[in-house]
Amino acid sequence: MTGRDGGARTAIHVDEFLGHPPAAVWRALTEPDLLARWLMPNDFAPVVGHEFTFSAVPLPDAGFDGVVRCRVLAVEPARLLRIGWRGGSLDTTVTWRLVPEGQGTRLLLDHEGFDPDDPLQQHALRGLGGGWRGRLLARLRELLDALAA
Amino acid sequence: MPRTPAPAGPDVFGALANPTRRDLLQALLERGPQPAQSLAARFDMARPSVSEHLRVLREAGLVEERRAGRQRIYRLEAEPLREVADWLAPYERFWRDRLAGLRELLDSGAADGAVGSPAPGPPEAGR
Repeated sequence: MTGRDGGARTAIHVDEFLGHPPAAVWRALTEPDLLARWLMPNDFAPVVGHEFTFSAVPLPDAGFDGVVRCRVLAVEPARLLRIGWRGGSLDTTVTWRLVPEGQGTRLLLDHEGFDPDDPLQQHALRGLGGGWRGRLLARLRELLDALAA
Repeated sequence: MPRTPAPAGPDVFGALANPTRRDLLQALLERGPQPAQSLAARFDMARPSVSEHLRVLREAGLVEERRAGRQRIYRLEAEPLREVADWLAPYERFWRDRLAGLRELLDSGAADGAVGSPAPGPPEAGR
């Protein structure tokens, strides 16, 4: 899953087949009401340069106020949507690609630009509780690296 | 209904959320495979409590159980920990969960029709 050779990975890639045509998937990605029903409340518009927000659950410990500040970077109807995605200390991009496949759509998601050197961005690990992130995690990393070698 | 496979490792995160279970893993990591009995002694806990924690760890795939005579020997399984050691895994789970929601929305037919015209219509009444 992770190329450990170059250190921590900085992107997420998800690949999903959906049994619906690209036009329907595109609607679900770009109509604010539909988008809100599976992702988050928003004031999105499919216009390059449009700035909008998603409303998420705040994570105060992670310096995240619950607002994802976004900007539309690229729009190719039924093919590609790229947005800037900033929240807390994250400054990332999310790209959706829609590829027709049979009767449906292959949806490719790239969420890129994570900074592994930013401790705030590792907030998710804090949910696992104190003690975990310290010694044990360090030791596990050593172990996993040893196993992967 | 969606047939999206469960994201890898939700049980792993649940299993690791408990400090005693993390301590058990640490003991297995530091001292190698051990019988439940010596783990119980080491943690000053009743055998059944330790067994219960070990069961959760086993179900999450974090430890492996092997019988040796009358004893059960527990060994750390590192594979599921790869996901946890990968700091982006929770974000990946976020997206997989959301995509399961997208699939449900599409299956509901809410995004059918009027394709090609991205003009947003009036808000849907309720859900």
